[in-house]
Amino acid sequence: MKSDKKEFLKIISNYQGILYKVSLVYFKSKADREDNFQEIVYQLWKSYPNLQKTKSIGSWIYAVSINTSISRVKKESRIEYREKVPEVPDHFNNLIDKISKNESLELLLDAIHNLNEIDKSIMLLYLEEKSYDEIAEIIGITKSNVGVRINRAKKILKQNLKNSSYGNY
Amino acid sequence: MGTIENKELQKIWKRVDTESNQKSKDELNLLLASKAKQTINKYIVMIGLSIAICLGLITWLIIASLNRQNDLIYLINNATLGVIIFISFIYYLSSFYKLQNKRYNHSLKGWLEARVKILSVWLNGRFSKLEFYLFPLLFILTFLSIHVYSADLNFMEVFKSEKFLEEDIWGMIVFTPIVLAGGFYTLIKTRKYCLKNLAFLRNLHDRLCNMS
Repeated sequence: MKSDKKEFLKIISNYQGILYKVSLVYFKSKADREDNFQEIVYQLWKSYPNLQKTKSIGSWIYAVSINTSISRVKKESRIEYREKVPEVPDHFNNLIDKISKNESLELLLDAIHNLNEIDKSIMLLYLEEKSYDEIAEIIGITKSNVGVRINRAKKILKQNLKNSSYGNY
Repeated sequence: MGTIENKELQKIWKRVDTESNQKSKDELNLLLASKAKQTINKYIVMIGLSIAICLGLITWLIIASLNRQNDLIYLINNATLGVIIFISFIYYLSSFYKLQNKRYNHSLKGWLEARVKILSVWLNGRFSKLEFYLFPLLFILTFLSIHVYSADLNFMEVFKSEKFLEEDIWGMIVFTPIVLAGGFYTLIKTRKYCLKNLAFLRNLHDRLCNMS
């Protein structure tokens, strides 16, 4: 069990970027992102015994992260006071500060936030340069539909970017 | 720049990688431990409390029934109450286990399917509105069990007694609607929230199905 946990932490440590990015895409407030990150780690640990059944570690982490985030989106949207929580420590703060200094990334993130929950995940996987096979496995749709969906999501995303100040960028 | 090239979007996105700080294994371990502890504590409180209430009620029913072995109607009242409490408790525990034992390691579509299926059975299934009938029934049976026992009279005699007709009945008339209204309000609110959640998940699932 102990070596299991060691192995698990090693995997999460190597792939934690995925957890950050999924949280970034699904949540706007820093506190929600931090909570979601923690929840994803916990859900990954819960489903860790089934890891052998999945094809790749990356796909497993994406699937659990996306499913966990979607299950929390509804809950968090009801708790608006969270936006006012003043103290948010460490990693997300640093990351958001840096992103804020980076206008184009901030605008891209804003545009992604305006997509629906499914398009968010498809866009994230597209931006992560995942293959159609991997996207199909994570989302559970056919490979041919991945292409169609990506194009549709990209169109909406670009429209969102045009509507934002990116048009003047 | 009017339009943004696809590669440019991916290039912008890559900046997240270079700008994110990594947590150490110890920090991740701490995060996992605190979340697990938080979750387990929440379950212990919820399950522990419901077990305590259930056991307390069943113990009360057994003791009260043993002391009133000659009052058949009272025994039937308590037996009915005991059976309802026991079945509800088992159902509650199994539902709780099903919900908490859900795994997230499926494709998004597979996960949504499983979640929609569980919630649909609970919210739209054959017994989905049973709690609305069980709640007033449980309240009345519990009230009768406690009231008849404390009055120290036979089941039918209690309702013919002067004390009941002159005093207790007023308490009943005032408090019963308050308790029932409070209970129904909570049940309706919870159900509405769950239905909203189901609609949200079903909508996402439908969108994925329309793509296939």
